[in-house]
Amino acid sequence: MLDALLSGAHQLFTLATMLTMLVGVVAGVIAAAIPGFTITMAIVLTLPLTFAMPPLQGVATMLAVYVGGYTGGMISAALLGIPGTPSAVATTFDAYPMARRGEPGRALGIGIWSSFFGALVSTFVLIVAAPPLAMVAVKLGAWEYFSLIIFAMTVVASLVGKSMLKGLMTGCLGLLIATVGSDPMMGEPRFTFDLSLLANGFPFLVVLIGVFAVSQLLQEVEDAEQVKQGKKLISANVVFKPMDAMRETIARPLNLIRSSLVGVFIGAVPGAGGSIANLLAYDQAKRASRHPDSFGTGTPEGVVASESGNSATSGGGLIPMIALGIPGSAVDAVLMASLMIHGIGVGPRLILDHGDIVYGMFMAMMLAAGMVLVVCLFSMRLFLRVTDVPRSIIVPVVLVCCVIGAFALNNRDTDIYLLLCIGIVGYLLSKLDYPLAPLVLGVILGPIAETNLRRALMSNEDWMLFLTRPISLTLLILALISVILALRYRFKASKRQPSQT
Amino acid sequence: MNAKASSQTARSTDRANAWAHIVLNGALALLFAYLFLRAGSLPESAWEPLGAGTFPRLILAVLILLNLGIVAKQVPRAVHSPRLPAGSTRQWLWRHRLAFGVLGLFGAYTLTVPLLGFRLASFAFLMLVQYLLGARRWRSLLIALAIALTFSFGIYALFQSVFSISLPSGILG
Repeated sequence: MLDALLSGAHQLFTLATMLTMLVGVVAGVIAAAIPGFTITMAIVLTLPLTFAMPPLQGVATMLAVYVGGYTGGMISAALLGIPGTPSAVATTFDAYPMARRGEPGRALGIGIWSSFFGALVSTFVLIVAAPPLAMVAVKLGAWEYFSLIIFAMTVVASLVGKSMLKGLMTGCLGLLIATVGSDPMMGEPRFTFDLSLLANGFPFLVVLIGVFAVSQLLQEVEDAEQVKQGKKLISANVVFKPMDAMRETIARPLNLIRSSLVGVFIGAVPGAGGSIANLLAYDQAKRASRHPDSFGTGTPEGVVASESGNSATSGGGLIPMIALGIPGSAVDAVLMASLMIHGIGVGPRLILDHGDIVYGMFMAMMLAAGMVLVVCLFSMRLFLRVTDVPRSIIVPVVLVCCVIGAFALNNRDTDIYLLLCIGIVGYLLSKLDYPLAPLVLGVILGPIAETNLRRALMSNEDWMLFLTRPISLTLLILALISVILALRYRFKASKRQPSQT
Repeated sequence: MNAKASSQTARSTDRANAWAHIVLNGALALLFAYLFLRAGSLPESAWEPLGAGTFPRLILAVLILLNLGIVAKQVPRAVHSPRLPAGSTRQWLWRHRLAFGVLGLFGAYTLTVPLLGFRLASFAFLMLVQYLLGARRWRSLLIALAIALTFSFGIYALFQSVFSISLPSGILG
């Protein structure tokens, strides 16, 4: 382990890596601060730029964008009342009133420190939890792996969106999209209809860009009135007292740790991620508070809960990815893809075969959290300007970046056409309230699921083994429970609110 | 708009939404059924019990059921909600004009990148979309021009020299 740690440190602490990480942090903060530009979009578009880098430098740069993004989302949430990313929704509840009251500097300061501590706690949990989990996971057979993917898919489908049927439908659609092209065991072409467009299947990155960038950007320009009139920033002078903000943040250790742990846990559950964690952490903090009524009026408690909660998901999401090869969110899926592009197999053996990269990632997380803190505390005033960029500039520029990203992966023209098709399908599905995260996880998990299913049956033709091997059975039962719980919850919710349409 | 009228609109968009689901999911169910039949002709394997077609067929079967389930859930909504007032489709299309405009331009852009090359196609796309989304005065048009040049010719040069990735060069050679 010490060898791997030192080798990871050796690769990480080079001038080139530190420099690209710093650029990544700044880019992440800026991108997430711009309303309509999400963290996922930023990471997806960073991926093509990392092709030319060594594996650890590429992943570390993307992690820097990720960690920076969680802090950046807070800027527009606090100053405009618009969450820059979905993971900063709860931040608007208290940071915005605080800023309106004339304390924007205090709101931002507390937010930055909470993000930092959240990221730190989550990295700590990651370091403690991932290696032992991987040691267990290495012993899993093909049966357990297939059941694990079934479990992950049902959890995603039941957590995301309003309708379980729709979540399952997009998840399965993702699995189906992954089967286009040559089959993983025999290389037999499937569903290609002899078209050169489909001959290579749908590359994962193209699906991701189409779904998370193109279709989302189209939604950004839907409201014709809103596009034309920009919203003004809070004009009051921002007074920044970093040390006071730190004292105020660590004066709430219980809230900080509880919210961070909520974030870590939610991040580790496939599909949940930051957009849920901030709301849950906020809710928990409100319940535990002695002054629950002060929440929503600009209390520092609320800012601490939301910001440490969403930043902590970054480490949590890496736990299943590093230990099991199953990404916890779309962002983790991109990180996984970036390793796979460099020919590194991601799965439970990752930590054994490429310990240097895994420990390098742990250190990169910490380093990125520190960089975000320094960058934000010293140049906050510059970042305040970016929330002013109008959509008429953001939308076309990011769309051009999408085309570059889709093309640069394989230098294939057909990938650009596929991007258009996926973008249209994604836009159509999201207009009809279909959650898109299950689709992306389906695309990345599809080949893993199929290979394991076929490998399991190759070694023994008995289908009953999925039900008689204890771990596999447990996972399938958990999958069933997650479906039942979700259905029950939805049934209750619909009873409480008899259709208000 | 009074409360009654607004609830009326909400209920009629409900109907439109339900029909959209029925059409989309119905069409998907048919498509998946076709693919299911087609996947039957994929070859079996000599070394394993499952051939190339089994896993896709498994997924397709689940997908057909899920889509039929969604259709079944939407039919009562479609039947029971009131008719759309005349002209609401046109209104809806008008309200989404910018999104469709951007989508149309993006479609044209993706198709022309391989032909015209990245630089020209991106430059035209960036100018047109910025104009469409509101860059109409001299000052904003100048900003638009600067951005269009940076993200077409500038990015091309950056990728060429720094990342050594050649984006399509097209007619500029």
